[in-house]
Amino acid sequence: MGDSSFPSGGFAFSWGLETLKADGIVCDRSGVEAFARSQLRWRWATADRLFLRRAADARGVGELAKLDREVEVMTLAGELRDGSRRAGRSLLRAHGSMGTPGVAAYRTAIAGGDAMGHLPVAQGVVWHGMGMAMDEIEAVSAYAMAAGIAQAAVRLALLGPLEAQSMLSILREDMADLLVQVPPKRPYAFTPAAEIAVMRHERGHERLFAN
Amino acid sequence: MSNKPASAARVGIGGPVGSGKTALVEQVIPRFARRGTRLAVITNDLVTKEDAERLKRSGLIDPERVVAVEAGACPHTVIREDPTLNLDAAEMLELKFAPLDLVLLESGGDNLASTFSLELVDYWMFVIDVAGGGDIPRKRGPGVLQSDLLIINKSDLAPHVGVDLELMIAEAEAVRGGKPVIVTNCRTGEGVDAIIDHIARDVLFDS
Repeated sequence: MGDSSFPSGGFAFSWGLETLKADGIVCDRSGVEAFARSQLRWRWATADRLFLRRAADARGVGELAKLDREVEVMTLAGELRDGSRRAGRSLLRAHGSMGTPGVAAYRTAIAGGDAMGHLPVAQGVVWHGMGMAMDEIEAVSAYAMAAGIAQAAVRLALLGPLEAQSMLSILREDMADLLVQVPPKRPYAFTPAAEIAVMRHERGHERLFAN
Repeated sequence: MSNKPASAARVGIGGPVGSGKTALVEQVIPRFARRGTRLAVITNDLVTKEDAERLKRSGLIDPERVVAVEAGACPHTVIREDPTLNLDAAEMLELKFAPLDLVLLESGGDNLASTFSLELVDYWMFVIDVAGGGDIPRKRGPGVLQSDLLIINKSDLAPHVGVDLELMIAEAEAVRGGKPVIVTNCRTGEGVDAIIDHIARDVLFDS
């Protein structure tokens, strides 16, 4: 499910990395690794993970819509909000075509403007619908984030393809550490450099990626 | 279990960098408008928003009906291996501007191996140009062979770049096994009406 060839649009997002490179802030492997760690530690573990869990446990579309609103209001940069909705809707589209349980009603609510389809909420819905256990859902989601960053870094020529694999191996330990920690009670995220980069991307000229 | 919505047809426009894809879109928009075809456009600009901005500013179409979808540096991924972001953009346009008859998807400039997934489009055109080389059809790239309609653009440049246009057309027809080839000059609009006729007949079913 976290395979990068599964068609859900992940290849078009850099989550700030494109601008951090253009601004000379991230320019090598250590920079990419630090970026990936901060995304995992201060966004995935403290925010995405909670929405993922709540979405997997949600009873009905009303609860999902509420989670979507929470993601929307706590995500500061416009292209992060937009990217999360677009990536989430793409994942839901693929699973809608596959007939994954729980997806059709959520997609209907999104088409009607009653929900938004933010990525962590969509991930919780589809992977729960696929019958995955909570710890599997969390592991796949964290890995998908890391793999997406590695892929974007390769295409931005920040990493070689083998370096990307070696970085992912190292990040697996970070992910394993995060996964055994108790998640915070309330979601929060703090990745200021990435968020400022995404805001700059909105007005910048570099547009290989959607954010 | 189709990914395609019931209403608007989707037509792809692919081809190498600089072959005239955006110029073609600029030529077809007013022609579709005249025949009452309700239209929206998605562009997969590769490195900027330039093509989308050019169309938005063109005055030919309501700028809201033009959407740029980024390709993450992979122009063929977004039209073939993983077209979900384009499908999402098409669906958003359909929701916003219902009813639509046609959504045009302009690929980012790519190479001769570029093809559209039929999960994304109902029909697709491949635009090559005379100045890119008279030998392009002979190279039998997937775009030249598999597209529903092959367009050879910049016909006026043939004498200036030493290309035998008649030979180029004959070779294109030979390798395509009977599928249509249309010669255009998208700066003047020459040949573009024939493209509209093909789309009206084969895609919109209302010629």
